[in-house]
Amino acid sequence: MYIEELSLVNYRNYDRLTIHFDHKVNVILGENAQGKTNLMEAIYVLGFTKSHRTPRDKELIQWDAEYGKIKGRVFKKNRSLPLEVIFSSKGKKAKFNHIEQKRLSDYIGSLNIVMFAPEDLNLVKGSPQERRRFIDMEIGQIEPVYIYHLNQYQKILKQRNALLKDLQRRRTKDTTMLQIYTEQLAEHGAAILFRRFRFLKKLREWAVPIHLQISRDQENLKIDYLSKVDVSESMDMEKMRDTYLTEFNRKEESEIERGTTLIGPHRDDLVFTVNDRNVQHFGSQGQQRTTALSLKLAEIELIYQEVGDYPVLLLDDVLSELDDYRQSHLLNAIQGKVQTFVTTTNIDGIAHETIREAEIFTIHEGKLVENNGLDR
Amino acid sequence: MYYPEPISKLVDSFTKLPGIGPKTAVRLAFFVLSMEEDDVLEFGKALVNAKRELTHCSNCGHITDKDPCNICTDPNRDNTLICVVQDPKDVIAMEKMKDFQGRYHVLNGAISPMDGIGPEDINVTSLIERLKDEEVEELILATNPTVEGEATAMYISRLVRPSGIRTTRIAHGLPVGGDLEYADEVTLSKALEGRRDL
Repeated sequence: MYIEELSLVNYRNYDRLTIHFDHKVNVILGENAQGKTNLMEAIYVLGFTKSHRTPRDKELIQWDAEYGKIKGRVFKKNRSLPLEVIFSSKGKKAKFNHIEQKRLSDYIGSLNIVMFAPEDLNLVKGSPQERRRFIDMEIGQIEPVYIYHLNQYQKILKQRNALLKDLQRRRTKDTTMLQIYTEQLAEHGAAILFRRFRFLKKLREWAVPIHLQISRDQENLKIDYLSKVDVSESMDMEKMRDTYLTEFNRKEESEIERGTTLIGPHRDDLVFTVNDRNVQHFGSQGQQRTTALSLKLAEIELIYQEVGDYPVLLLDDVLSELDDYRQSHLLNAIQGKVQTFVTTTNIDGIAHETIREAEIFTIHEGKLVENNGLDR
Repeated sequence: MYYPEPISKLVDSFTKLPGIGPKTAVRLAFFVLSMEEDDVLEFGKALVNAKRELTHCSNCGHITDKDPCNICTDPNRDNTLICVVQDPKDVIAMEKMKDFQGRYHVLNGAISPMDGIGPEDINVTSLIERLKDEEVEELILATNPTVEGEATAMYISRLVRPSGIRTTRIAHGLPVGGDLEYADEVTLSKALEGRRDL
């Protein structure tokens, strides 16, 4: 799939902008603070209806405007389809093919996106929360039902934690409700866990060989799922649920004492090891980068396998962060098949034929000032 | 904006209603000024009476102008069947259907520890009392299919279990007259779960 056209109205520092993109490589060129990342963010928001930079939608609307709008045309499966996300003080609306989609899970997946930004290095060295966010976003893109289970899980978790606080402070003694929430949590927790395991298995199949290749056969990547509960990939969903139930029963007293839920998918983590060493703690800067890159490249292939179409790739300021070898590996991997957006302040630093064939857009103070490609 | 005090008080009152923002409230307030005095009086009376004369039925918890309510005192209804709902509006929805001939029990809420609502804050105790006295054979749990409604239904079914009374949960799934292709994945998977033999 690829984006044919993008228009922005009152979005961040853009009043109005319409751009026709090339279906291969698009380079967004500009000085710092001119709106390159904002443009990348806009594409991201068109796919996910929320920003990767802020949880507050209001920030996306231009400072004194009433509403903000992102529109796009996406070409996929031989059809050109309009997408639209509108933000206003009343909330946001997402339209697919002119029809408003009330549920997030109905809209997400309309435009598949893989983004690689400097923050993504945190995927390896950052907090467990960032790795869970990564895994949740990716599964959600492929399997919208996952988003439903995740939402239900979060709601039940909040209720359960509130009840555990009440039990901790002895405001109530009734443990029947606790049992009910435990059962519901185990049910959705198992549905989440099962899908995470299934996703990881597929991710590994792509990421491990890619990592080996980028490291010139030097590094053996391993990806493990870390859980406080004794679960494994070979279990079916029912077995996972039963395991959770047993564990919740064992932990009941300490959960009441602490007033919070101690186990479940919301406390799990991913562990990356290279040549038997934990990359998060002992990996070099370069190994962490390679790991993040392998994961992103694996994602592209995985989405292709699951959805039947390549996602759109956003490379925000990362090409300059990679050495020549990794840079060309990345560009070779996407060559010709994945529509790619690259932001950079200086094009000379990137010596690769892909970039020489690219369409270049120059951005200055929220406006498109130059377009070297064909005028359409 | 400066309005004479009677108007600003009226505007303020209208904004207390759900779904009414400041602009609509101003429009409604000025409309009231243009209404016939009799109509305004009637309107005011209707508001006050709705509040004063309606109470919750001491038996089932439904809103009513006489206690016990019409449904509870109707001799033609089936005493062996009670349908448990969250809200009086749910009773009205069920009654529109005209197919249900049992009795009701209105919880007036759902359990939600986050909002400080525990089992003792909803109308459960009186339900258990009713089950002891009346010749109930089946309890239909028709709370909403939300996290709170689901948890409340499960809670009640557990309380009732020792008595041996049959408890059932209403089905989730496809809307009648709807197309399969337009249903979202979640509803479809629920519908598949709740399939039955033909």
